[in-house]
Amino acid sequence: MAEEKKYTTVSIPTPLFEKIQTKIKDTGFTSVSDYVTFVLREILAHSNDKEAFSEEDEKKVKDRLKSLGYLD
Amino acid sequence: MKVMVVGLDCAAPVIMFDKLRDYLPNITKLTQEGIYGKLRSCDPPITIPAWMVMATGRSPGELGLYGFRSRVGNSYNQIKIPTSRDIKFDTVWEILGRRNKRSIIVAVPPTYPPKPIPGIMVSDFLTPDKEKEFTYPPGFKNEIMRDFPDYQFDVKFRKPEKEKIITEIHQMSDTRFKLVEKILKEKQWDFFFMVEIGIDRIHHAFWRYIDKDHHLYEDNPEMKDKFIAYFKMVDSHIGKIVDSMDDDTVLLIVSDHGAKGMSGAFAINQWLIREGYLVTQDEHVKQGASLDDLKVDWSRTKAWAWGGYYARIFLNVKGRESEGVIDPKDVKKELETLKQKLKEIKGPNGEHWNTIVFEPEEKYEIVNGDRSDLFVYLDDLNWRAAGTLGYESDYMFENDTGPDDAVHDYDGIYIMFRKNRKIGKNIDSSIFRVAPTILELYNVRKKYGIKGEPMEGIDYVR
Repeated sequence: MAEEKKYTTVSIPTPLFEKIQTKIKDTGFTSVSDYVTFVLREILAHSNDKEAFSEEDEKKVKDRLKSLGYLD
Repeated sequence: MKVMVVGLDCAAPVIMFDKLRDYLPNITKLTQEGIYGKLRSCDPPITIPAWMVMATGRSPGELGLYGFRSRVGNSYNQIKIPTSRDIKFDTVWEILGRRNKRSIIVAVPPTYPPKPIPGIMVSDFLTPDKEKEFTYPPGFKNEIMRDFPDYQFDVKFRKPEKEKIITEIHQMSDTRFKLVEKILKEKQWDFFFMVEIGIDRIHHAFWRYIDKDHHLYEDNPEMKDKFIAYFKMVDSHIGKIVDSMDDDTVLLIVSDHGAKGMSGAFAINQWLIREGYLVTQDEHVKQGASLDDLKVDWSRTKAWAWGGYYARIFLNVKGRESEGVIDPKDVKKELETLKQKLKEIKGPNGEHWNTIVFEPEEKYEIVNGDRSDLFVYLDDLNWRAAGTLGYESDYMFENDTGPDDAVHDYDGIYIMFRKNRKIGKNIDSSIFRVAPTILELYNVRKKYGIKGEPMEGIDYVR
């Protein structure tokens, strides 16, 4: 049996809903919900949930701070 | 009502209101028509934590931020660089965001990695590089890269290439202001907060060309002209920002701390060795070695220090540090003795120094995070502290870690201005008043309950 999909409702302003409705007309999106879900997933995919700095990132910043006299 | 904050890192009253006054027509006009004065920074008067003191109204102690590095746990040599995730209190833009205000935040330290915001966030000079996601929403980065491919977070100092550095700083700041002007034209906002780091870099690397009293003063007309040209560029951008504003917007130009000529650098760890506080087993110490490079005998070490524009001294306490030697019941006594010795340090020619030493608890009501046991302002900040070792003398007339002509000073600047109000007042204020001022201008200060009072002159621009 396929896993049951769970959905919930978020509110968006009606004018925005209508704007999206117009925008997705004749596109691959079948509904405003589809479009909104897609866009939000895209944005979240960019967010960095890991450590703020990787080891390499931290080294870059430290080297710069050293050259500026902030670190010994 | 809208508020636009233009942060000029390290902008100093002596430069902005005095020495370069005649070269800065826009800034001078703002001081004549608005309210201006010195803005007392926090302690320590350092970029990190000062901008977040401004953005949250909290003290460095409460923020748990004391500089560009924080100690990890009670370790001897593990450090971390603060990021946006270390800010545990609401910033003014978060408070305003919850009240449906759209904010645009550009380069306020530390805002990397950028947090989601109703508006736009571009992270600060502690961003590792342009490959990273440095904007919120993430797509805004593409707009920056398309329109300003040379956008830079910061510069890297390389000792012999002074002319190249000043050109790089000039371009970096010019580009960031152009980005801000483009955003002002194209995006909707209720609150704007930008910080330009270039002034700090210019002061540190080029102060000797404009200060005849500096021990490294160089009469170099070409470099002096470049120094002035940099400030003229900043001034012309401020003119453009003012032009774009309506009369329902309050402009707040602020700096996080001031600057003054650096007298020299004092090798604080060498001094601790000689005073018997720090014990190393190295026979020969290479000049410029950091403590991490040495074989420190922690079982016989009572204290060690970090350098910077102020010194942080840590005690090696039993039960706290892994090889602690000071009994916790003796800490108070040890601190008092060490404070006294630090205050007695004299200058290179035996002259009196006004060295300020304090424990964080003496300065802040709340002390969070990994604080050092002592904060030391050598000769009232005129001398920076070098944490490195291996020098013939403790006194160096150049910085240990790169070119540096300037140290930080307690007083930065502020100008508060609203179009069509002729005010013309000079009233000194404090960095702790900036966040309350911003919230008061949106009428949310009391509802939110932020600590502190708005600036003394706020009624003139309301």
